[in-house]
Amino acid sequence: MAIGVDELRSRYVGMVFDSVEVQALRDEMVGFASACGETEPCYIDPDHEDFQAPVNFTTKYHGARMLPDDFPEFDRRAMIDAGKAITWHRPIRAGETLTARSQIYDIYEKTGRSGVMLFLVHRMEFTNEGGELTSVVDWRLILRGGLS
Amino acid sequence: MHNHSVMSDDSRAKVENYCQWVHKRGVPIDGFVLSEHRKFDFESDYRSLEDEYGLRILKAAEVETDYGHVLVYGVNEDMYAAFDFSAIRLSLAEVVNEVARCGGIAVPCHPGRTRVGMLAHVRDRGPVEGVEVIETLNGGSRGTENDEAGGLAQEYGYRGIGGSDAHIVSHIGRCATRFADPIETVEDLVEALRGGDYQAIHTTGTEGER
Repeated sequence: MAIGVDELRSRYVGMVFDSVEVQALRDEMVGFASACGETEPCYIDPDHEDFQAPVNFTTKYHGARMLPDDFPEFDRRAMIDAGKAITWHRPIRAGETLTARSQIYDIYEKTGRSGVMLFLVHRMEFTNEGGELTSVVDWRLILRGGLS
Repeated sequence: MHNHSVMSDDSRAKVENYCQWVHKRGVPIDGFVLSEHRKFDFESDYRSLEDEYGLRILKAAEVETDYGHVLVYGVNEDMYAAFDFSAIRLSLAEVVNEVARCGGIAVPCHPGRTRVGMLAHVRDRGPVEGVEVIETLNGGSRGTENDEAGGLAQEYGYRGIGGSDAHIVSHIGRCATRFADPIETVEDLVEALRGGDYQAIHTTGTEGER
């Protein structure tokens, strides 16, 4: 049975449904920065005094689950990755363990040339071992045709 | 008459960057209107940018109806309470009536565009009473969409405006509306749109249908 966007919002927006720990490894930081075309030594030289992960580093991580366990079923072939936006808060240093908590941050609809699209905004908040927020990644997913 | 900033979910253009682009490139416009998707931005204050760049920056909204997308000018708190700007299945008839009742004017945009434009819906279900103005020139139109919009305006006697539908800074001013009288406020804009002394134009100089 189809479920409306208002009900989806009331059920899932704000729900934290996943938490994983990841470790920022030096070689992965360098590899990610290099793949992004970074040339700043602080991102690609592990011996640099201010060596840190590039600002978009946490976009590479996924949680254990993409959506809450009881989220309505839909045809995942109709889903489009609409990109990620990152808000950087503080440097991530090599070897740090980060905790990533996933939540549904927003659900909304819009209409485009192809018809109705349902947007899911999946947010991952990354904190370091001191509990400090390092970055927030908002991942937009589009379901063409909604959940019908 | 139709531009989106970072306040819309599909635009990365900052208002200051629009101003810088207009200034640097000498885009021939006196100002622009921000029409964010499915919301009205009550908070932002662009007066300092207006002063710095000598531009008039006004605010509107683009809402979604059963006849496609619609620009709403003259938004106020009464209007914002009258219907849900975030909904995507609004009734165009209701939007037109409520916007007028609250002192504004509703203008269906990119009418020639598939699904989100008014033309196909008019062909299926007939015209909606109360519509007086449509966007006959849209900077994001493809193919013959603007021609079809112009034809619709001619067929039903709608007046036409031009809007860039900019989502990135370099698209500001692609299409515009030339008014006979100066526009200083949103109230001026609504009055002018009702009055009819204006013309949709390409900023390259090609004039469109009124």
